[in-house]
Parts: sequence; structure tokens; C-alpha cells
Amino acid sequence: MQKRVVFRSRLLPYLLVLPQIAITLIFFFWPAYQALESSFFIEDAFGFSRQWVAMQNYVELFEDPSYLRSFKTTLIFGVSVAVMAMSISLGLAVAANRVVKAATGYRTMLIWPYAVAPALAGVIWYFLMNPSLGIVAYWLKNVGVDWNHYLNGDQALLLVIVAAAWKQVSYNFLFFLAGLQSIPKSLIEAAAIDRAGPVRRFWTIVFPLLTPTTFFLLVVNLVYAFFDTFALVHATTEGGPVDATSILVFRVYNTGFIGQDYGSSAAQSVILMGLVIMMTFVQFRFVERKVQY
Amino acid sequence: MATLSINSLGKVYPGGVTAVSDVNVDIADGEFIVLVGPSGCGKSTILRMIAGLEGITSGDLQIDDRRVNDLEPGERDIAMVFQNYALYPHMSVRGNMEYGLKNEGLPKAQIAERIAEAARTLRLEEFLDRKPANLSGGQRQRVAMGRAIVRDPKVFLFDEPLSNLDAKLRTQLRAELKALHKRLGATFVYVTHDQVEAMSLADRIIIMSNGKVEQIGTPMDLYLRPASRFVADFIGSPSMNVLDGTVSSDRRSLQLNGSHQIDFGAELPAAAGNQIAIGIRPEHLHQNTAGETRIELSVGFIEQLGADTVVHGTLAGSQSPLAVRLNGVQARDSGDSIALSCGRDQIHLFDGTTGQRLNWDNQ
Ligand SMILES: Nc1ncnc2c1ncn2[C@@H]1O[C@H](COP(=O)(O)OP(=O)(O)OP(=O)(O)O)[C@@H](O)[C@H]1O
Ligand SMILES: [Mg+2]
Repeated sequence: MQKRVVFRSRLLPYLLVLPQIAITLIFFFWPAYQALESSFFIEDAFGFSRQWVAMQNYVELFEDPSYLRSFKTTLIFGVSVAVMAMSISLGLAVAANRVVKAATGYRTMLIWPYAVAPALAGVIWYFLMNPSLGIVAYWLKNVGVDWNHYLNGDQALLLVIVAAAWKQVSYNFLFFLAGLQSIPKSLIEAAAIDRAGPVRRFWTIVFPLLTPTTFFLLVVNLVYAFFDTFALVHATTEGGPVDATSILVFRVYNTGFIGQDYGSSAAQSVILMGLVIMMTFVQFRFVERKVQY
Repeated sequence: MATLSINSLGKVYPGGVTAVSDVNVDIADGEFIVLVGPSGCGKSTILRMIAGLEGITSGDLQIDDRRVNDLEPGERDIAMVFQNYALYPHMSVRGNMEYGLKNEGLPKAQIAERIAEAARTLRLEEFLDRKPANLSGGQRQRVAMGRAIVRDPKVFLFDEPLSNLDAKLRTQLRAELKALHKRLGATFVYVTHDQVEAMSLADRIIIMSNGKVEQIGTPMDLYLRPASRFVADFIGSPSMNVLDGTVSSDRRSLQLNGSHQIDFGAELPAAAGNQIAIGIRPEHLHQNTAGETRIELSVGFIEQLGADTVVHGTLAGSQSPLAVRLNGVQARDSGDSIALSCGRDQIHLFDGTTGQRLNWDNQ
């Protein structure tokens, strides 16, 4: 059977993909090009004049210790969010996979956080952890932890990590659950007969078979943490105290809109774009080719 | 090497499905037992209860006189070959076979030795480093077998291990399996829905229907003395002809549909006017009138098998299906009628209502 559709008109296929191409061009390529262009200029705050400076914006960025610190912060933030969100959701997925009764109920409940807007997720955690009225901060005080993310940079970073991870758990959970359910039950049974206990079964059979899912989620979570957490940081710590939570995306905004240094902001977004392209490449290169069991 | 003793074993699944009830059997050391029956009769359930993959609702299960009801699958010292083989896809053939031994904590040298031997027996040497995905169905099947053999378990369990293979390979592997059993001398419990497989492999067959045991016996027991109409129908291909009839007033003959009268020359084990059924295997009917029991077949269609010909049709003058196996190549037209006969000792009797076998003097 012929699977390919054959169009009689030569024009029709192009017409059909036109909207898609138009959207991509107008909303992705055009702004990207604008950012790339601006990154080579220094512009005055009102946009009246600009001056070609070639790579100067980039050079300044990499000579700025606080920008380099942001790189490190972003890396710590991204890896922590990914690891935390993934391990919690894997745990939940394994538990939910064992549940027989009311399984859909649990699943629905676990999916809800994903529907919460990032800014709102930030605000929820912000209230929970607020040093003067937050319930979690109160509990922490009772166990002897003096929580104040307004002053303590590490605590502030921890707060945004937890908030960002919490929001991503639902998404990961869905994928892990689907991954777990696609592992044939007879494999687990064969391992049980082969004298592997539940823990050993998990690490030698289940976890390796989840590798494709895990790798896919790792990339997705890193991309999320690096590029999709602006609203969350903005709503909670605003990058502070003293840049402690100023991750790269947040910095782009801060430099551009608060500092009004459009050239540097543009250069930063070009660097971020480069990162996204790299990660997407890694994902296509490895995830797609990874053996699907 | 072990005995297996099953006492009034029963299984009710959550949700209330009674899959197995009151199964009793003692399996001897080194015996090849085949569980056979139609789909959904509870064969896999019994096997999975022996393996410990399914909880036992009622009754006792003993391996070597030790009650194992509450032991984990890994503690029962059994090995199982699954219908879909259940090979670990991320491990090589060697990895698959090693897995259980590593879990047991066997020394490395010993593991290597066992794997080498199993690989030799099953002709898997050249595939040891391949992943299961890169093997043919038959090779995967042998790996699954290898994974069981290296464990050197007390009991081997097989759940339809050949059903995913083509007919030719199935026949070949059947022979290999039989040879393997002989060589290992281990206790085998084997599930299949294929009666030919059951007949050719088993020392004893357990035939089941609807979660209950119909009969336990050697293949020849089941063939020659089926305990019920169900067994008679299930064992043998084509199936035994079973014809309903009414016991005559002198209890010495049976009135079949289509004005056939079967004389028994002895008293039937049923009251006058009762409904009973006679069973005659297609291969026991002959194209002559030498036998004491004569019936006439009205030809419907024929199956030419080369070595012999199976003629399907009805008992002349009735709608009751009747088949006969004739030697060699035979041509018949639809509507022809063939006079057949058989010896009285080839006739089986079954109760009309319960379907249970009725024994009578002439046998
Ligand atoms: N997990 C389960 N929950 C509820 N009912 C089940 C379950 N597994 C099997 N059954 C039911 O128990 C009965 C016996 O099933 P079983 O799998 O033992 O049949 P089988 O003889 O192996 O059939 P087949 O030849 O098709 O494999 C069937 O009616 C089946 O629907
Ligand atoms: Mg089955």
C-alpha cells in the first residue's frame, strides 16, 4: 500500500505548510535574528541611537565575574532541579504503579501541580517559606533551622530549586509511569524467580529499561530549569539576595529591562540560544537513537 | 530433582473469578507432567501458583515434602520458561543466563562453567554476546531454556514455550525438549493447549476444563479410556465421534438418531429409556462390515492428508456429525454414503447428562 500522500497540485503542499513556516519565521526566527543583531551593538536606553561594537558585549560578559557566577548558579540550579524532580517523580511513579485500587484517582491528583502557572508555583512556595508567616519556615524554626531566604543566599537558592522541582514532578511522573507500565510484567516475574529481591529487581531490570525515558526527561528538565523558570524566580527572590538566585534567564531580563543594557542582554540571550541548540542536538543525537526496548 | 505434591489447590482471583478449584496430584521425581486444556481453563494459573507468582487461595503445595505456599518465587528453587520468553532485553544472552546465578552468589568460575555447558547443550555458543533482540524466535526460546537449565532447579515450569514458533520448529524443539528432559532427569511441569504436544511429551497428562481436572493419566490412558466426553473430544485428531442415543427396553442395545440400532450383546450400564452417548474414534471405523457395530456415513467433505483421508459427514439419516479416517488416498463425493463398522471393544460409553465415562462388560 502506498503510504505517501500524492498531491495533484504542486502548490497545495506548500500552502498547507505555509502557516507553520510563517509562525516559525515570525515568532522564532525574526526575534532570534533581532537578538543576534542587537548583541553586536551598544544602544542607548531609549533606542534613539546605536553603535556597532562587534564582539564587545560578549567580551565584557565573559570578563564579568558576576556573569560567570551566574553560570555556576544556573548549573547548580539546573542539575539540582532535574535530580530532585526526577527522583521524587520516579519514586511516586513506582508507588503509583503498584497501586491497584483507585489508581486513576492518585494519578489525577499527582498531575495537578503541572497545571499551576510557574509564577503561581513560586508564590505558593514563597508563602510557605516566608520567614515571618510561612508555615514551613515555622516548622523549620521548631526543629532549629533559622530560615530566612531574604538574607541567606543558599536558602534562597534552595527555595527556588524546591519550587521549580515541585512544579516539574507531575510531568516527569507521567512519563515515568508510562515507562514503567510499558515494561512487561513477565520480566519482573522472571527476575523474581531468578532470586532477585524487589530492590535488586528495580536497579537491575526496571531502572535500566527506563533509561530512554530517564535520558529524555533529563534533557527536558534541564531545558526547563535553564530557560523556563524566569517567572518563578521573578515572583519569589527576584534573583537575590545579592545575585544568589540570579540564573542566566533571569539575568537576561534584569540586564535588559532593569539595567536597560540591551546589547548585553541580547548577547546573553544569544548565549542561551546556543545552549538550547546544543541540548536539543544532544537529545536528538542520543535519545532518538537509543534502543527502544 | 524433586517431587511435587498438590493438594486441593484452588484459586479465586480478586474480583471473584474462580480460575482453579480442587486440584489434586502427586508428581514424581523426574516426571514430565503436561497440563492441557482449552484456553482459559486455568492451566497458567496452576503453573503460576507453583512458581509463586500467584497467591494460593486454598489448598497446599509441597516441593520435596516442604510446604511452599508462602515462599517467595526465588525461594522455591524452580525455574520457569515463559510463553514470550521474558528475556531481559538489556542484557546479552550470557547476561540473561548469569543473572539468576549471580543473585544466588555463585562463584564466578562456577558460573562460567555452567553457562559454557548450557550453551553447548543448546548450541548457543556463538550467540552468547548478542542481545535477545538480535536473535530469531527459536534462538530466543533456547536462551529462555538455557536460563532455566543453568539454575539447576528442582522443578522446571514451562508455559506454552513453543506456541510462538512455526509448526516445523515446534516439532523439532519438541524432540529436543524431550531429549533434554531425559538427560537432566528433572521434574518438568509443562502447560500447553495443544493436545499433540501433550501426547508426545508427557509421562502423564493433566487435562482440565473450567478450572477443574477432568482426568490425570498417561497419554495412552487418556486415548484409550477417556474419563469423560470432554476428554474424548479433546484428545485425538480428528476428535472422537460422540453420538447420542436412547437405551432400549431390554438394555442390550442403543437407539441412535437416524434409525441406527447398535447392539451390544451385553447389558448396558444404564436404565432403559436413559440417554447415553457412544464414542468411536474416526481411526477405529473401517470400510467393511466385519465389525459387530455397523453404521452408515453420509459424506459431507473430505480432507486429503496424503497418508490417509479424513471423511467428514453425518450419521446417515440424521444431523449428528461423524468422521472417519481411511487409509491412503480416497475420493468420495458429497452425498455418497459409506458403510462402516468397528469392534465392540472400540466403543466408549458416556452418561448422557454428566458426560462421565460408563464402563461396561465388553471392555
Ligand atoms: N489476574 C487475573 N485476574 C482475574 N482473572 C484472571 C486473572 N488471570 C487469569 N484470570 C482468569 O482465570 C481463568 C484462567 O486463566 P488462565 O490464564 O489460567 O488460563 P489458561 O488455561 O492459561 O488459558 P490460555 O490457554 O489462554 O493461556 C480465566 O478465566 C481468566 O480470565
Ligand atoms: Mg495460559
